[in-house]
Amino acid sequence: MKTVLILGERAVREARRTPDALLPTLLIPIFFLIVNTGQAAKIFPTGSTPFLEGQSYAAFQLPATLLLAASFGTAALYLVEEIENGYFDKLRATPISRGSLAMGRLSAEALKSSLMTIVILLIALPFGIRIASGPIGVVLLIVLTAGWAVGYSGFLQFVALKTRNAAATNSAGLIFFPLLFLTPNFVPRNLLARPMEIAATLNPVTYMMEALRSLILVDLDWAVIGKGFAVVAGFVLITVFVNIRTMATYD
Amino acid sequence: MTPPTDSAPTPDASGPTPSTEPAITARDLVKTFTGRSGTVEAVRGVNLTVSQGEVFGFLGPNGAGKSTTVRMLTTLTGITGGSATVAGVDVATDPDGVRHKIGVALQEAGLDMRQTGRELVVLQARLFGLSRADARTRAEELLELVELTDAADRLIKGYSGGMKRRLDLASALVHRPDVLFLDEPTTGLDPASRLVVWDEVRRINAKGTTVFLTTQYLEEADQLCERLAIIDDGTIVTEGTPASLKADLRARRGLDADPTLDDVFLDVTGRQRERRAGEVSEVAS
Ligand SMILES: Nc1ncnc2c1ncn2[C@@H]1O[C@H](COP(=O)(O)OP(=O)(O)OP(=O)(O)O)[C@@H](O)[C@H]1O
Ligand SMILES: [Mg+2]
Repeated sequence: MKTVLILGERAVREARRTPDALLPTLLIPIFFLIVNTGQAAKIFPTGSTPFLEGQSYAAFQLPATLLLAASFGTAALYLVEEIENGYFDKLRATPISRGSLAMGRLSAEALKSSLMTIVILLIALPFGIRIASGPIGVVLLIVLTAGWAVGYSGFLQFVALKTRNAAATNSAGLIFFPLLFLTPNFVPRNLLARPMEIAATLNPVTYMMEALRSLILVDLDWAVIGKGFAVVAGFVLITVFVNIRTMATYD
Repeated sequence: MTPPTDSAPTPDASGPTPSTEPAITARDLVKTFTGRSGTVEAVRGVNLTVSQGEVFGFLGPNGAGKSTTVRMLTTLTGITGGSATVAGVDVATDPDGVRHKIGVALQEAGLDMRQTGRELVVLQARLFGLSRADARTRAEELLELVELTDAADRLIKGYSGGMKRRLDLASALVHRPDVLFLDEPTTGLDPASRLVVWDEVRRINAKGTTVFLTTQYLEEADQLCERLAIIDDGTIVTEGTPASLKADLRARRGLDADPTLDDVFLDVTGRQRERRAGEVSEVAS
């Protein structure tokens, strides 16, 4: 456990030293928030759009922004770099648990994502976006998003461990598009065209997005939040498990 | 009360008896790589015994299997066949036990470019369980020894090749390992840096650490190693002290003066090469 923190601290230092890699991960999601809201806000005016629950369309878009920001983890790419230059072998020759080796960077992703969520919320507040579920809701929002960051970075880190190749790891990142866009990210699920609704219902990310959205627009609706957390927990468990197993059998 | 005696001091029976267990053993060690492009038998049955406190040289031409042997002994790659122990611990069944006792500086000297030299050594020390304060003190000491104090707070990205190697050596020593593995520690170093590394190896060894060192430089082996083995094509072709290997060749060739280690090297690896060339042509015909 302690070694996870030691390696996590180093990953945070690494991120701090590469602000040019960190800044776009904040700016691009905000860019999409502004652009998407600008395009659709007139179709969905606050007063006559029941699913907005009295808030602006930007509030409805916020979950997608948070998930997008949490999908820019650098764990996998830095790991490939480390495998290629040999430093990874040096770490493998130390007597730390293979679990720590797998979790070090992922723990830093959780921290980075939490900070990112806070910054995005602080940017969103002046634009009239409110978190209807209050302080507890804000905490849940942060935890849920950080969970996604760990799961998604964990998936890519797993690909990095298996392929040991930067190009393959980058390509695996493209799975992000179906995962994030086969969701009810522009309108609620019941307003989607039938095929899209089926796809969204099958996509686990939908439940995360709905949980985040309900925290922002509605209140603490535990049924919806519960599904979101179940999805994230399952995702994190699976990716952490495969990472640790791959790390233990790495040759 | 026991009366004092005038006789020569006898070994203190109550003290720790120095263990005579070898620092490294390898029995019929085999490593086969299986990939898309076929199978490579990198190591084909290596037998080794390195005593505690020795500086052992592992020599061989490019591709002979030196690094692969080091990687097996340091738990970095699995063993295909045979067995090995390091510091009395079985490499295959207790890799974690081995990792506690060894220091490793690999051929690539892979380092984290986004950390400073000091951060890297402190991190390494922390991973071996030193407290934050102890890790700092230890890092200071080691950086001084490898003459990197001035560069300690610069990013490793900006280090020269020689500085990286010396830093790598320093980081392998954080936990005062029982056995130190150095894979070509002086390749690419200028003569001054090479001397720093040699001095450091001697100093570490004088404190009781066993050193297993691969090298391309026969002079280095001659200078540093008490015993050495030459590996070619995955098998050990000769083994002994530098002096005995030279004397052996001198006797076989009926030379007037002792040959150099270079002559020994060419003799054993060249002969091997001819033999292999013969096999190939037999297969071809
Ligand atoms: N991961 C690997 N996959 C496939 N083949 C490998 C792998 N690592 C090493 N080999 C092969 O095993 C053989 C021995 O390689 P090794 O690196 O042990 O040689 P070496 O003696 O260290 O050489 P050098 O002096 O060039 O460092 C070579 O033929 C090499 O191509
Ligand atoms: Mg080598």
